[in-house]
Amino acid sequence: MSQHDRTHHARIATGKGDPQCFAGTAGGPPKFKVGDRVRIKDMPDIFYTRCQVYTRGAVGEVAVVTHESPAPEDEAWGHVDKSEWFYIVRFKQTDLWPEYPAAFANDTLQTEFSERWLEAV
Amino acid sequence: MSHDHDHNAPAAMVDEISDFEALEIAVREICIEKGLFSAEDHRKFTEFAEHIGPTPAARMVAKAWLDPEYKKLVMTDAIAASKAVGVDYLNPTGFGTPSDYTDLRVLEDTPSVHHVVVCTLCSCYPRPILGFQPEWYRTPNYRRRLVRWPRQVLAEFGLTLPAEVDVRVEDSNQKCRFIVMPVRPAGTEGWTEDQLTEIVTRDCLIGVALPKPGVTSNLELPVHRAAKPAHH
Amino acid sequence: MAVPEKMHAPADMAECAANWTPVPLLEEIKEHGRVWGELAEQYGVTNPDPPWKTSLDGMCEVLASGSCSSMAAAEKRWLAGDVVRDAMDAPLPLLERRWEEDELSATLYQDVPFPERQLLALTHSLIKRGLVDPEILKQRMKEVHERLAAT
Repeated sequence: MSQHDRTHHARIATGKGDPQCFAGTAGGPPKFKVGDRVRIKDMPDIFYTRCQVYTRGAVGEVAVVTHESPAPEDEAWGHVDKSEWFYIVRFKQTDLWPEYPAAFANDTLQTEFSERWLEAV
Repeated sequence: MSHDHDHNAPAAMVDEISDFEALEIAVREICIEKGLFSAEDHRKFTEFAEHIGPTPAARMVAKAWLDPEYKKLVMTDAIAASKAVGVDYLNPTGFGTPSDYTDLRVLEDTPSVHHVVVCTLCSCYPRPILGFQPEWYRTPNYRRRLVRWPRQVLAEFGLTLPAEVDVRVEDSNQKCRFIVMPVRPAGTEGWTEDQLTEIVTRDCLIGVALPKPGVTSNLELPVHRAAKPAHH
Repeated sequence: MAVPEKMHAPADMAECAANWTPVPLLEEIKEHGRVWGELAEQYGVTNPDPPWKTSLDGMCEVLASGSCSSMAAAEKRWLAGDVVRDAMDAPLPLLERRWEEDELSATLYQDVPFPERQLLALTHSLIKRGLVDPEILKQRMKEVHERLAAT
């Protein structure tokens, strides 16, 4: 038996989509709404994460509440029985990079987080 | 040694038919003869694998430019909207991987905001609707620098945006995939969907270029004009 | 590990995996065929993939699709009540092909690099299903070699 069966995924997602196949599995409504100010937590990530280091500790604004899905930190190890809400958060570039030119103070960057990474500001 | 070569010489080719190459051809011919598929259907799928020609995403943008109702659907449910351009996201073609499913989102440019997409963690890309990633999209150079120095990187692609246009980078890091819907350029008034589709090239959909009348992915490559052209 | 039951390979696939036996023709190609990495180095080519790679992708896709002409014909016959619904199935459904490719890549073809490994696995799957006859394939490969080398 090979270590990683690539057909697992298609079997749960075909006809529904992924993350759509996890709809309704987060166990409740999203904690944040569009426009909420949030800070990205700086949590340990010894094994696997998709939360970029450059966002840790930064404050941004929820731009989109996207969907429910297992967090990649769990899903990478096959744990798909618990889902979270996901959010696209918008940052001002000048809040992410100290040297970002002030002339372009309205430039922004968006990226996505599962709920565990966000705290209300 | 490479410096012994004429600089205009074509790139080296493998001048040998390996058993693997012969095997691929032989299996394919036998399947076609048995009626498992037709040569034309096979060619279509191969063409898709090589992402030649306008992508379904280009047509989605062109349709949305022309039809406000369709545009509403594109912005609220891009997965449903992709069916109108022949892509079924819920039953994706099987090139790969979990990342062929995903949640498609369209980023709408305005006269004051320009979007550009990157995946800093790997090379996430909306393959079912946009084909395979270009090589540069996978390079650490693009991934590392675009999030931090977007205007500089865009300028390297030949896209210099005025200061009054805000740049919004989308770092595609989870299960959402993105295409950019550029602003419909001036000079395309009265154009058909097919004409508009032609100018929405792959790079416009990633956000490293803007559509322009007359610029399509099928444009002839620039050539050195003959100093003494021959007339026949 | 919390993997839901539905994520495991179905029983018939597991049974299938126990029955991988080498195909002499494919073993010979595995042993003696020259892989792309070797050829590319010899000829000074930098393209990471062999020229037949996208065609192989196209073949995997078209075998898994219901849109190919023979399938459309089968569907017509089914609608006319001539054949049972099973005849409409794709010759080699995506999931079965990919699952078998993974199994074969971890066993018989584990020492073959990609994409040569993918091609051997696809051919293996077609042979095991009786869709391709190894004797006919061997003869056709000989003809292909001759045709492509013709001067």
